[in-house]
Amino acid sequence: MKVRAIALNTFGSLLRNKLIVLFLAGFVCVVLLMMTPMLAAKTIAGTMEAGQAEGMVLGIVSAIMSLVSGFGSLLAGWAAADVVSSEMKSGTILAIMARPVRRWEFLLGKYLGVQLLMVVYVLAMFALSYLLAWMGGEKIHSAAWTLLLYPLVRYAIYSAIATLLVTMMHPVVAFAIILVTSVAASILAPSSATRAILPEWLRAGLYAVLPSTGLLSEARFLAITQSALHSTSWTDHLTAIAYGLDYALVCFLLAAWSFHKRSLSRV
Amino acid sequence: MSAPAIEFHNVTKVYQRRFSSERVAALTDVSFEVAAGEVCAFLGPNGAGKTTSISILMGFLFADSGDVRVIGYEPGDVRAKEHIGFLPENFAFYKHLTAEELLRLHWALTGKGGPIVDGLITRLLIKVKLQGYEHLKIGKYSRGMIQRLGVAQALLGDPQLLVLDEPTSGLDPAGRKEVLDLLATLKSQGKTVFLSSHVLPEVEQICDRVVIIDRGHLVRAGQLGELLGSGNCVELTVDRLSADGEAIAAARGAAIERGRNQVRLVFDAALKREMAELLWSTGCDIISMNPVKGTLEELFLKLVSDYERVE
Repeated sequence: MKVRAIALNTFGSLLRNKLIVLFLAGFVCVVLLMMTPMLAAKTIAGTMEAGQAEGMVLGIVSAIMSLVSGFGSLLAGWAAADVVSSEMKSGTILAIMARPVRRWEFLLGKYLGVQLLMVVYVLAMFALSYLLAWMGGEKIHSAAWTLLLYPLVRYAIYSAIATLLVTMMHPVVAFAIILVTSVAASILAPSSATRAILPEWLRAGLYAVLPSTGLLSEARFLAITQSALHSTSWTDHLTAIAYGLDYALVCFLLAAWSFHKRSLSRV
Repeated sequence: MSAPAIEFHNVTKVYQRRFSSERVAALTDVSFEVAAGEVCAFLGPNGAGKTTSISILMGFLFADSGDVRVIGYEPGDVRAKEHIGFLPENFAFYKHLTAEELLRLHWALTGKGGPIVDGLITRLLIKVKLQGYEHLKIGKYSRGMIQRLGVAQALLGDPQLLVLDEPTSGLDPAGRKEVLDLLATLKSQGKTVFLSSHVLPEVEQICDRVVIIDRGHLVRAGQLGELLGSGNCVELTVDRLSADGEAIAAARGAAIERGRNQVRLVFDAALKREMAELLWSTGCDIISMNPVKGTLEELFLKLVSDYERVE
């Protein structure tokens, strides 16, 4: 009840946030900007073989969605850092924490409020991917749940990291660290071309610690053509999602522990 | 006798900036108690440590040493917070909510479960004179309206203990009076009120106990009546004062204040019988004789200036 009330209030606050409105405006711009290339791809695809055309259109959709999805990761990190820090800065946290609310309940409510926002974002992203494929004259063959669940788990990780960091430092610093770690994780990924810059033991160690969300990218399913749809087994799905949820849970528990003993004065 | 509502024992709090050796002692060995059912004024100049003390009391900050109990529990314990109504200093609320939405949110956080009792929000808003504004976004409220709403949210859930940090801040004289009347009502209902304020004459009207701190140290704590004293001086009003009478009064250290139709003399209470007889013998009529009590403001200024001189 208490967590739900905090989560819904957080979600309501986020929907009125100017930066979120900016994100949504950007979202609409992407749709408008991509209409021309997608329609052009549809025309070119008419001169190609069916499989080739499908691969090309879905490749473009995947590239666009990677960008939109990447923004989603930033949004998740920023929103999670902001919802906690803005409460502390404005002092609204004092009236809330004077109620019989435990600190972890407050933090969980804030975290779930951000997840609600990300559900809306993922649904919009899901609709956008289908819209883009339709404009290109193709269909997305991937299971809908992969396109919904994978980004949600990825955003859960980024928002949990942001929640952890913001309990210890300024939100801008927290956000910068998230940016750096996400870039570092992609550089250190086994598939990365730059992996040779570090010794293998160090690269593997860092890759294990950093939020390695490459496997949780739904873009890899968007690019899969109909003929290759069954290449991912359920154990692979389960492992990837379990990894993501586990990472988010550990970060959140650390955040709750850190928040438990910190001052709630205005910062 | 019931357990104290608030217990502060040898509380010390030192602020230290991160990556800096600079240390500021906000509270040093502060001890006081507030009994259940009392209205306690928590006084001190700006920067005395009042808000730090209240933050520790509410579990927002942690004392470096000492022991604090609120309704028998550690600060921040949800069992204590179930019975506390809190109004922070210069508090802020979610601007996108209306008063009704905010009170519903706070009701959900009280953990009492179930939907809010019918009419409770309306009654609270009437109590703080905000009826008719319940559907207006808080972002459009004036400072005074926000303060009234803050008082309303503090009263939500019928708390046993009210902790109010500057409850009359931002209010006009009429608003201040309404809040003080409200506090007087709460006092008559047996609630414990712990409030900080700079408006001492108003606080004096309702408080039973006073705790004064300055620069993080306890200056004085006790019952208001004891601290102000009573009967140390008397005020004698006579219709006229002859030269003989003036000489007699002056010789006994009386302060003389001449009005249009009467003369007011203030002197040591021990001399009241002697003075009355001597003045009567000079031919003046005694209109009244009353004990003179110091005011809270006078006491506060004296104690703080004495303390600062010693420091």
